[in-house]
Amino acid sequence: MSTRAVIDVSELPHHEFDTYDPVWWGNNGLLAIETSMFAILIATYFYLRQNFALWPPPIAELTAPLRPLPDLGYGTANTILLVLSCIPMIIGDLSARRGNRSMTQLMLGICVICGFVAIALRSFEFGAMHFYWDSNAYGSIVWFMLGMHMMHLAVLTTEAVLLFVWTMTREFDMKHRVDIVTLGIYWYWVVTIWLFLYAIIYFTPRLDLRA
Amino acid sequence: MSQPLQHINDDELAAVMEREKEELERTWSPPHGLRWWFTDTDHKGIALRYIVTAFIFFIFGGIEAALMRIQLSRPDNHFLSPDKYNQIFTVHGTTMMFLFAVPIVTALGIYLVPLMIGARDVAFPRVNLYGYFVYLIGGILLYTGLLLNTGPDAGWFAYVPLSGPSFSPGKRVDIWAQMITFTEISALVGAVIIIGSVFKMRAPGMSLNRLPLFVWAQLITAFMIIFAMPAVMLASGLLASDRLIDTHFFNPAEGGDAILYQHLFWFFGHPEVYIIFIPGLGFISSIVAAFARNKIFGYTAMVLSLIATGFIGFGLWVHHMFATPIPQVGQSLFTAASMMIAIPSGVQIFCWIATLWGSKLNIKTPLLFVLGFFAIFVLGGLTGVMLASVPLDLQIHDTFFVVAHLHYVLIGGSVFPLFGAFYYWIPKWTGRMLSETAGRWNFWLMFIGFNMVFFPMHQLGLNGMPRRVYTYLPESGWGTLNLIASIGAFVLATGVLVFVINVIWARRAGAVAGDNPWAADTLEWSVSSPPPHYNFHNIPVVQGRYAMWEATPDAPIVRGLSTTKREALVTSVLDAEPELRFEVPGPSIWPFWVSIATAVMFIVGIFTPWAFLVGAILAGAALTAWFFGDPNYKNKTVSEPAETKPIQPPPRPELQPKEV
Repeated sequence: MSTRAVIDVSELPHHEFDTYDPVWWGNNGLLAIETSMFAILIATYFYLRQNFALWPPPIAELTAPLRPLPDLGYGTANTILLVLSCIPMIIGDLSARRGNRSMTQLMLGICVICGFVAIALRSFEFGAMHFYWDSNAYGSIVWFMLGMHMMHLAVLTTEAVLLFVWTMTREFDMKHRVDIVTLGIYWYWVVTIWLFLYAIIYFTPRLDLRA
Repeated sequence: MSQPLQHINDDELAAVMEREKEELERTWSPPHGLRWWFTDTDHKGIALRYIVTAFIFFIFGGIEAALMRIQLSRPDNHFLSPDKYNQIFTVHGTTMMFLFAVPIVTALGIYLVPLMIGARDVAFPRVNLYGYFVYLIGGILLYTGLLLNTGPDAGWFAYVPLSGPSFSPGKRVDIWAQMITFTEISALVGAVIIIGSVFKMRAPGMSLNRLPLFVWAQLITAFMIIFAMPAVMLASGLLASDRLIDTHFFNPAEGGDAILYQHLFWFFGHPEVYIIFIPGLGFISSIVAAFARNKIFGYTAMVLSLIATGFIGFGLWVHHMFATPIPQVGQSLFTAASMMIAIPSGVQIFCWIATLWGSKLNIKTPLLFVLGFFAIFVLGGLTGVMLASVPLDLQIHDTFFVVAHLHYVLIGGSVFPLFGAFYYWIPKWTGRMLSETAGRWNFWLMFIGFNMVFFPMHQLGLNGMPRRVYTYLPESGWGTLNLIASIGAFVLATGVLVFVINVIWARRAGAVAGDNPWAADTLEWSVSSPPPHYNFHNIPVVQGRYAMWEATPDAPIVRGLSTTKREALVTSVLDAEPELRFEVPGPSIWPFWVSIATAVMFIVGIFTPWAFLVGAILAGAALTAWFFGDPNYKNKTVSEPAETKPIQPPPRPELQPKEV
C-alpha cells in the first residue's frame, strides 16, 4: 500500500504578532513608501534653500521681524505631546499583546485624544511660519511638509478611532489585537518622522549653513 | 521542517480529495456577472484584467505612434496640426510608460508570483482590486482628456517651466499630473502586495535561495517601485499644486527651481526604466530554462546582478540632465555609474548564453523573442554607453538618436520579452496553445519592422533631426530615412495584429495545452490550465530550486488548510517554515468605492482644492465600511468551529515509502 508524506498544518494559529503576520509586512511596506516620500521632501527643502540668500526670506514690511524665523511655541508643544503620546501607545501595544482588553481600550482612548490635540496644534503651526503657501518657495515647502505630516496625523488618528470603536463594541480578537500592535508601529513612525521635520523646519533656519 | 511528517494512505487521500474539491470550488468560487467585475479578488482575474486593459492601452499608444509616423513620413506634411502632434506624442509616451509598461509587467507578477511560490492568493487581495480600479480610472482620465482636445501636450515628462501655470494654461497638464498619481498609487500598492506575498506566502521548502528567478525579478522591481515612485508622485503633486493653488516650487521668480523638477522626475524616471526592464529579465530566465531544458547557469550571480542593477539604477538619473548646469564632478560620477550598470546586465546576458550553450534548444516562439531581445537590447545598451558620455550626449541631446536609443532599450528590453512571455504563459492562462506558425510570422514581422522604424533614427539623430518636431523641411534631406521608418512602423503594427488574431483564434481553436506543455520547472505548471480558483488543492512542499524538475514522486504535501474558508498558508521569511493559517479576504465592494473616492479627490482636484477634503472624507467613510463591513467577521474569531479533520493518519508509523 503506497503512502504519502504529509505536513499537517491544521493546528497552526490564524494570527500572530509582528513579522509573523502579513499585515506587518503590508504596513511596513506602506511606511517605506512614505519614508522615501519624506526623504525626498527633505531633500527638496534643502535644494530650495540654495536659492535664498536669507532663509526664511525677509518680509518687506516695516513692522515685520528682521528674520521671520518660525515661532517655536506650537511646534514645540506639539513635539512634546507627540513624544509623550508614545507612552499610552506603548502601554496599549503591550496590553494588546497580553490580551488586557480594558487597559488597551483606555490607552487607545488616550491616544485618540492625543491625535486630535496634535491636529489642532498643527493647524496653529502653519501660522507660526509667517508666510503663506503662495508667498514664496520657502512658504510653499514648509506648508507642504507640515501638511503632508498633518495628513498622516489625520490618518493615524482615524485608524486609532476605528480600532478604539472596534475594541469597545466588538470582540477583542486576535486579528484586531495584531492590528493594534501594527497601529503602534505607525504611531512611532509618525512621531519619529516629526522629530526630523521639527528639527529641520524649526532649527535649521537658525543655523547659518553657508559658513 | 519543524512540523513532523506524517504518512497517509494514497487511496484514502484520493477519496478525501475528491470530496474536498467540491468544497474548495464552492469556497473560492468568484461572484458572477457584474458583481464579478466589481468585487472579485482572485489574483488571476485581477491580473488578467490588468493585462487586457494594459494591452488595450498599448494598442492606443501604437495607434498614436502610427499617426506620428504618418505625419513624419514626408517633409512638410500637414496630416496633423502642431497642436495635435504635441498632444499625441505626449499621450503616446505617457501611455506606453505609465499605462502599459509598468502595469503589464507587474500584472504578470500578480498572476504568476502566487502560482510560482505555491500560494492560494496574494497577501492582500482586496488592495489588489483597489489598485486595478485606480489604474483604470487614471487611464480613462487621460483618454477622456485627449478625446476632448485637452490631452497633455508638454511631453511625457512635462518639464517646467513649459508645463507650469504661465506657459501651459488650461487643464491639459493637470490631467497628466493626476493620471500620474493614479497609476503610481496602483503600482505602489502592487509592489507592497508582491513583497508581502513573496516574503510570507511561499510553500514550505521554498527558502529564499530556491526562489525562481522570475520571482526574484518581481521582488526587486517591487522594492525599486517603493523607493522610486514617491519621487514622481511628489514631482507631479508639486506641479499640480503650483498650477492649482499658486505655490512656487518651480517658479524661479519666487525662489523656486525648474531644475528641481528634473531631479525629482528623473530620480523616479531612471529607475523606472529598470522597473520595466527587470521583470523582463525574469520572463527571459523562465523561458530560457524551459526551452534549453537546462538549469540556469550561475543562479547566484543572476540574483546578485539583479540586486546590483536595482541599486545602481538609482545612481543614474542625472545622465538625463547632462544638458543642464550641473557640476562637472557630478557629471563624471553619473557617467561612471551609467557605464557601471552595463556590468550586471552583461553578467546576466553571459549567464543566459552559458545556459543556452550546449543545450538541445527547443526553438519555439517564446525563445525566438528572447533571441530577438538579445540582439535589440545589446544594441540599445551600446548606444546607452555612448549617451552616458557627456560630450557625446551634449551633441545628440534631444535628437532622434535618443528616440532610437530609448526604443531599443524599452522595446528590446521589455516588449520583446513580454511577447515571449505571452506565447509562453497564455497556454496557462487560457488552456489553449497559440499557433506556432502565426507566432513565427509575428516575431519576424515585429523584429524586422522594429529595426526598420528605429535603426534609421540613429542616423537621423546624428544628422541633426530634433525629437518632438511635427514636421521638417525638404531641404533637410531627412525624408528618405523617415519614409523607411514610417513603412517599418506599419510592418511592426502588422506583427502586433498577427498576435491579436492568434490569441482570438487560439481561444476558440488552439490546441489544448494541458498542465505543462513546455515541460517547464516552476510550480504554475503543476496545476491545471487555467488554474483552479484556489490554485493548489494541497500546497506542495518544494524540494529544490527547480520545483517541478526536482520533485520526487513521493514529495510531501501540506494538509490541514480549511476547505470551507479561504485559508492560505503563511510561512517564515527566510526558510518558508509553516507559521500561520491566514484567512485571505474574499470578494468585497469596498475597494471599488474607495477607488471612486480617490477619483473624486484627484479628478475634481484638477478644478478645486476642496476636492481633496471631500475626497478624503469619502475615502475615510469607505475605508470605515471596509473595516467594519465584513459580515463574516464572527466566524473567523470567536466561534472557531471544531473542524473535523479530513484525514486521520494511519495509526501505525510506517517507514518512509520508496517509490521509484
